Amino acid sequence: MPLFTGVDPALCEYTALQGRKRLLRTRIESTRQASPGAVELLYTAVNSPHLASCTSMVFARFVSHPDRTAVTFRPITSTCQNENLRLGLQIALSYVTDGHYNSSCLYIVCPLLSVLPLDCDHLRSQLASSPSNMRRFMKKNTLRHLSALLLLLVSAQAAVAEESPQPPVAKIHADQLALLQQHCVDCHGADNAEAGFRVDTLPLALSDVATAARWQKVLNALNSGEMPPEGEPELEKAAKADFLDHLANVLVDARDILADQGGVITMRRLNRREYKNTLRELLGVDVVVADLPSDRSSRTFDTDGSSLYMSSTQFEQYMALAREAINEAREWEQARGVEKSLRFETEEVTEKVRAHIAYQIDAKQRATEWTTLVDEAVADPENAEIVARIKAGPLGSHRHIFYRNWKQFPGVPAPEEFGFRTNENNADKAIAALNPFHQPYHEYYLQQPAVEQGAYFAAANEHPSVLDTQTINLLVPFSWPVGDYVVRFRAAKTDDATPDRCYIEFGLNPRSQQAMSSHEINGTMENPQIVEFPLKLTRANNERAVRSMYLREKGTRDDWNQATGVAREGRAQNNGIGRTFSLWVDWFEIERVPEGDKPRAPGIIALETIPLTAPDKKPTDDELRDTFKAFASEAFRGAEPTDAYIEQLVQIYRSYRSTGSSHQEAYTESLAVILSSPMFLYLSEPLDENESRSLTDRELAIRLSYFLWGAPPDKTLLELAEQGVLSKPDVLSAQTTRLLNDPRSRDFVDALTYQWLGLERLDFFQVNLDHHPRFDNSTRLAAKNEIYETVNHLVVNNSKLSDLLNSDYVVINGVLANYYGIEGVDGDHYRKVTVPPDSPRGGLLGMASVHLMGSNGDHTSPVERGAWVLRKLLNDPPPPAPANVPQLARLSDQLLTTEQRLTAHQEDPQCASCHRKIDPIGFGLENFDAVGAWRTEDSYQLHDDNGKAIKDKKIVWTIDPAVKLHNGPAVNNYFELREAIATHDDDFARGWTEALIQYALGRRVGFTDERLITDIMNEARGQDYAVRSFIHALVNSQEFQSK
Amino acid sequence: MSVRQMNRRAALQSATAMIALPFLESFGFRRFAAAAETVAPPKRIAFLGFGWGVTEESFFPDMKTPGADYELPLGLKPLERHKADFSVIQGLRNKYSVEGHAGSTWWLSGANPYAEPGQSYCNTISADQVAATQFGPYTRFSSLQFNHSEGGDRSGHGPGLSLAWDASGKPIGGENGPLQAYHKLFSKDTVPLEQRRLLIEQKRSVLDTVLENARSLQRGLGKNDNQKLDEYFDSIRQIETGLAKGEKWMDRPRPEAPFGAPSATVQGRDEIKLMYDLMVAAFQTDSTRVITYRQPVATLLTSIGNKVAPHDMSHYHSTRGEKLACSQLRDRTQTELLAGLIDKLKATQESDGSSLFDNLVLAYGSNIRTGHDLTNCPTLITGGGAGLKLGHNIVVQEDTPLCNAWLTMLQGIGVQTDSHGDSTGIVKELRA
Repeated sequence: MPLFTGVDPALCEYTALQGRKRLLRTRIESTRQASPGAVELLYTAVNSPHLASCTSMVFARFVSHPDRTAVTFRPITSTCQNENLRLGLQIALSYVTDGHYNSSCLYIVCPLLSVLPLDCDHLRSQLASSPSNMRRFMKKNTLRHLSALLLLLVSAQAAVAEESPQPPVAKIHADQLALLQQHCVDCHGADNAEAGFRVDTLPLALSDVATAARWQKVLNALNSGEMPPEGEPELEKAAKADFLDHLANVLVDARDILADQGGVITMRRLNRREYKNTLRELLGVDVVVADLPSDRSSRTFDTDGSSLYMSSTQFEQYMALAREAINEAREWEQARGVEKSLRFETEEVTEKVRAHIAYQIDAKQRATEWTTLVDEAVADPENAEIVARIKAGPLGSHRHIFYRNWKQFPGVPAPEEFGFRTNENNADKAIAALNPFHQPYHEYYLQQPAVEQGAYFAAANEHPSVLDTQTINLLVPFSWPVGDYVVRFRAAKTDDATPDRCYIEFGLNPRSQQAMSSHEINGTMENPQIVEFPLKLTRANNERAVRSMYLREKGTRDDWNQATGVAREGRAQNNGIGRTFSLWVDWFEIERVPEGDKPRAPGIIALETIPLTAPDKKPTDDELRDTFKAFASEAFRGAEPTDAYIEQLVQIYRSYRSTGSSHQEAYTESLAVILSSPMFLYLSEPLDENESRSLTDRELAIRLSYFLWGAPPDKTLLELAEQGVLSKPDVLSAQTTRLLNDPRSRDFVDALTYQWLGLERLDFFQVNLDHHPRFDNSTRLAAKNEIYETVNHLVVNNSKLSDLLNSDYVVINGVLANYYGIEGVDGDHYRKVTVPPDSPRGGLLGMASVHLMGSNGDHTSPVERGAWVLRKLLNDPPPPAPANVPQLARLSDQLLTTEQRLTAHQEDPQCASCHRKIDPIGFGLENFDAVGAWRTEDSYQLHDDNGKAIKDKKIVWTIDPAVKLHNGPAVNNYFELREAIATHDDDFARGWTEALIQYALGRRVGFTDERLITDIMNEARGQDYAVRSFIHALVNSQEFQSK
Repeated sequence: MSVRQMNRRAALQSATAMIALPFLESFGFRRFAAAAETVAPPKRIAFLGFGWGVTEESFFPDMKTPGADYELPLGLKPLERHKADFSVIQGLRNKYSVEGHAGSTWWLSGANPYAEPGQSYCNTISADQVAATQFGPYTRFSSLQFNHSEGGDRSGHGPGLSLAWDASGKPIGGENGPLQAYHKLFSKDTVPLEQRRLLIEQKRSVLDTVLENARSLQRGLGKNDNQKLDEYFDSIRQIETGLAKGEKWMDRPRPEAPFGAPSATVQGRDEIKLMYDLMVAAFQTDSTRVITYRQPVATLLTSIGNKVAPHDMSHYHSTRGEKLACSQLRDRTQTELLAGLIDKLKATQESDGSSLFDNLVLAYGSNIRTGHDLTNCPTLITGGGAGLKLGHNIVVQEDTPLCNAWLTMLQGIGVQTDSHGDSTGIVKELRA
């Protein structure tokens, strides 16, 4: 059957369906599991005369169910051709009503869009009611413009025979073989297998690693252009692209199936994030864990036990970190109750400006006196020969050349005598003093109001070591202890503050590029405002750099390039004097908050008998034993250590004491051993004879809290476990809700979001601030936070998951609102803001940081964007970029638009097989520039091989976002694209479900998880895909509650 | 009964018995050496990997001019003065490698990433570790794994913690950046000897204690989890071997550092340069005989003032222009640094008057040629320690296993092994 040549409309339908096959396969599998036996797929076509010619073979391929015999395909009727959708639905439903088949769900497969699962009962009631209801239904599901629809009904007959489910196998479609038969078998057949490689015997089922490897060879040879060899006929382009597409996807499926761990959860150690959280919960301290491997990879979640290794270096790092954690805890105990405060009255800056002006006037005076003497010597005819010699020497015509050569003139005094001391050419300081470039700016500073009460942020001018008016700094005294501090400052904006210029950045180390926070200032000079926020200082804040707090105007000091650029622009806009002042600070202060009766962390309480702070305690062995036991049991999340272990700890303590260590050193060392022991580092769940079993309540408590907090269970959870009631559904559900409501769930939100949405690219590159000046580092940070804040908003409010695809609101703060041009959002906290229907914002595709990921920090990358949308939003990941595809260099010297260039790229079938699907999505998002700002124009500048721009080789074009998605609808603009993508809420929900399972269970999701996925999705669908419904369904599942 | 239930001390004793006395640093040896004939300096091996490959048009010599008489292409120009000191080998690849973004993961192992069912990817031992099993006992460090100081994988290396993978195919961590490497090599122990012995004993009792805990955890674990816990046992065992080694080395002071501690913030070009200096120092002091270095590419670009994103750079084909310029500048900078390293190796004298260069073999390359292309992997081999043919443009049969080259190197420095990875033999053209 020549299915892959020409443009058979039926084929178009078919290939469109291919993308949806996974979901249907899932449904078939779950139907089969629900009622074992053969499954029948009944189908009918609506409005599509071509589909009538589709045979069941098409469906067989389309669904590609591993167990073909168990699935049969049967046309219900062909009478509804050219009839309306309503009729088609009724016919389909009648089969259910007749009772021959049991099915609760009907699927509408729209070739261009998606699979819509519909509740039969609901649908029936819709159909029974008015036509307007039907119209609404069609509109809601964006069916109105579609000419071709296909209905599928999955149903199960009554059980025929008991079958045990077989592991699935990825298969190559038999039809695909035709291409190989035609082109390859002559050389790679039985008679004459060149290179010892036979194509004719390749099994269609990729049931083992060896077969997969053979097919990989075929893929490699075709991708690299190695086959067919020169002189042999080339493969037809479209057929080759289709074949590569198919083969690459089957291989991905095969790898997934072969890597399936069959639901086995491997015991794992705490990952870096959990390790840090666990120390925090146990000891109340935050330690820097940057030395440990991050455990994040793009392949698995950081909870995947089989990928979390242990090495000897790591063990030593654990020991070192444990010591640090205990020392940190000791210092917090020692500092308990300490009160400190310090305020910097910023008008001190004014004094410095004043003194600097005085210095400049004086220095210019002195410099002039000295240069006058040199000038006189130059003018003296007796020195004519010297003058001539200098003029003939290097830089002879430089205007300051005589000053620099003053030594050659007899009788001219040294600049030192006029107060200019320097190690370099001692004339240079004097020369510089002749032209105090920034003096007018300093004088302008002094003319500002309220300089006797506070300070302004100036643009970059003098070197900070000479005069620092760009940041307001406050050093936290070195004698101050660790603790929770509060930072405050009182500030106002001036009349010169534009919307972009009313943010003050706060951070540690005035030279750092990235501020820790930025604060919107709305207070006026008449009525300034006080800004207050917490700051935690730990033992890691041990150097001047990390104890120096600063305030500065946002977007003026990210790097020196930006700073000087801002200053230059400011001068140009203000008569050459210097940038206007938009922000004023009255004072800047820090205060230590005494702990009061804040409860101690459980690990500290366990050490009550021998407190960490006791300076030279001489504990008895019994005291040591009890203390170590209590601490270990707390650290081990309730597991009891053996007596021998405790005894050995006592010995370690004694041994350190006997070799001259102090009590505190020996004590710290012994406790560090506990925190490096496997019972602390590993989350273990014992197993007898490798049989799966239910978790004990304590294990369940641990699994739940590491899922939702990334931290050990708290007292409440452990108590419920001890009473043996945690596994009761209502208790478990209530606890899940409680954990999600607790602020600690933020770790879950952040870690899951990062890994689920693949956000590592957010930190991959610098933004070109010359081209994108508004996207400064603080804006970037705010944009990055938007993703996390939005997901957090969904979790906190139990909102619809699909809000991430399209919504009429955003979750932003003042900085982002200003960046997006959204009015009426003041302040630094993130909150829900409704946006008008014509706003491009709302949902992930409206977020600046998502578009930043789909760029290189300067230009957009439609490929990155398209691939990300496929991977993350449509849950239809393209296969990994194939190796060894020949590169196309022919277009490099042509002036083309991005779209033209990439489309031309697709002339190679190797590229087209994936890029025809990826690129159009990216083109539809071209209205967002590299930093997510809306644009209507783009340009391309040709560079020569040295990277220099070639003159007159630049084109500018108006962006045309209208695209035809591969085997999908044509959309006219971004808004329609977003809408089209949003119809895939099922696919998106599936991606989220799979991510949740992987994250929570610490293993890869496999084909064995289809039922679990289906169950969770069914449950969640019933609740309109509210995010918490997925989490509850997962926690309720047998998988979550078993080892 | 598992191995670790045996008497651990007994096992350890037999293990330490195999640890030969380090001879170069020992005072005793020096006295002896002065009187006796010169002992040949040890052989060393090093691998330097850069992730994103090279500019294919301007890095490889013309395949049509094999032999010693070939013209250096643009990307190798900075090696002009060393033209007789290295060979370029063309036509090598790892046939199983299919990851266009992994220039290092399988570079030294040639492993099939999908060989193990039930794993999303896997690996096998890397060539350097094969050498380390044989040379390791003679030096303070069996091998050193230098790594860049970048966060994330922006340099196209792929999964892993360094270039090295152990015998079970697990990633081996290393020193990230010059400061860590410096401390590893030269940090002085000021504690008196007697006390250090006690400290080692104390460390042993710490290990005993955590092992006791591990054993009680082990009871009742399923098979799978037991294997996981084995990693913990392994790491403890490694520390024990290290301690045993430390005992042997205790009375020998660490070598003097040839320069001060590097700054913690150095990155990119300067980082590579420092790491090269540290490599030379490590070899010179015979602290180890096996070194790998997974080099930074992303920060290298930044450090030479380039704003092109590293992955973009490797896809210069469709636009050329600034990306191509950046790619070529990257090649030149990297090769310049390599030329500097060869200078140093040649200038470093050994006990018998030969140079360090004469006793070492070094491979320089990547699993990625350019873009996503994994064929004809860029491979430079230098150093006179393995008796290899230098100064040649060697073109081997297309798709010869890269592991053949590794095997040739290993055998050349006296490592007893008949095969490595997917090797099918040695690269005969490479033998002098």
